[in-house]
Amino acid sequence: MTRSGLVLALLSGAVLSSAAADDREYQQAQFDYQLHCQGCHTPDGSGADSVPRMKNEVGVFLQSKAGREYLVRVPGSATSALNDKRLASVLNWMVREFAGDSVTGEFQPYSSAEVSELRQQPLNEVDKYRAELLQALTGATGRKQ
Amino acid sequence: MKFLDRWIEQGSRDLAQRSSRRGLLKGLGGFLVGTASIPLLPVARASAAQGAGQPQEEGDPSSCDYWRYCAIDGFLCSCCGGSANTCPPGTEMSPVTWIGTCLNPADGRNYVISYNDCCGKSSCGACLCQRDEGDRPPYRPDKTNDINWCLGTTSAAYHCSTAIVVGVALEES
Repeated sequence: MTRSGLVLALLSGAVLSSAAADDREYQQAQFDYQLHCQGCHTPDGSGADSVPRMKNEVGVFLQSKAGREYLVRVPGSATSALNDKRLASVLNWMVREFAGDSVTGEFQPYSSAEVSELRQQPLNEVDKYRAELLQALTGATGRKQ
Repeated sequence: MKFLDRWIEQGSRDLAQRSSRRGLLKGLGGFLVGTASIPLLPVARASAAQGAGQPQEEGDPSSCDYWRYCAIDGFLCSCCGGSANTCPPGTEMSPVTWIGTCLNPADGRNYVISYNDCCGKSSCGACLCQRDEGDRPPYRPDKTNDINWCLGTTSAAYHCSTAIVVGVALEES
């Protein structure tokens, strides 16, 4: 094998193994969503009754710093049984799967470190906080909730 | 009969002139390798993957011992005019539910089970089962079966429970 052939083989090996790791992370996030979130948020993120709808909506929160933080500080996230890495991963999965066109611009994925810090301050008065947050966001973006 | 004899002989001679023993081996070899490789084609893998979502089944869905009921606490809809997947007539399935995993003895794999309650009529009263594997206290609300899961339905009256396979559990790597 020539040197360039060897380099090519090594590179394609690296690409393949990173694709396999991405695939594993995706499957883990999907499974974590099923076990820890889907019971209330429903399989496609539509929600039900008092469970807020995430489908085509959840990206709105990413338009402000407080909104981005809210998605981690909300008790379902902050106090979940998932560790920081898997919580970050399932949040990123939810945004990619459910946000649709409610995300404007490029989505910066949550990191373990960011999630680790934010979940130290879980929200108490969630409904009130959420309503105020969305009111501020609607005022800023003109998007109807 | 003479006609048949002549016909067979003619056919055999024609075949012998047109073909060789190596040709037969080549054809037969190609056929054997070809048929053996059919399961390797992507289409075969796709159908196998599809089968993974629909587990092999064994056991009686009207019995508490049925594999999907490993964490159930309530009346089996299978005994109340519904099934392990469907609600009895006149009841409404709650979209909000609790979810766990159960081991399927038929294939040795764990599946994600959704225990959707059927609501809108008073308690069914038949086949009360309480297995509670993986059940957690109410301070872990998404993993407890002690609360009434008739949430998001028009009526909060609990009738019976289903156990629906919603996925294959990811094995720890």
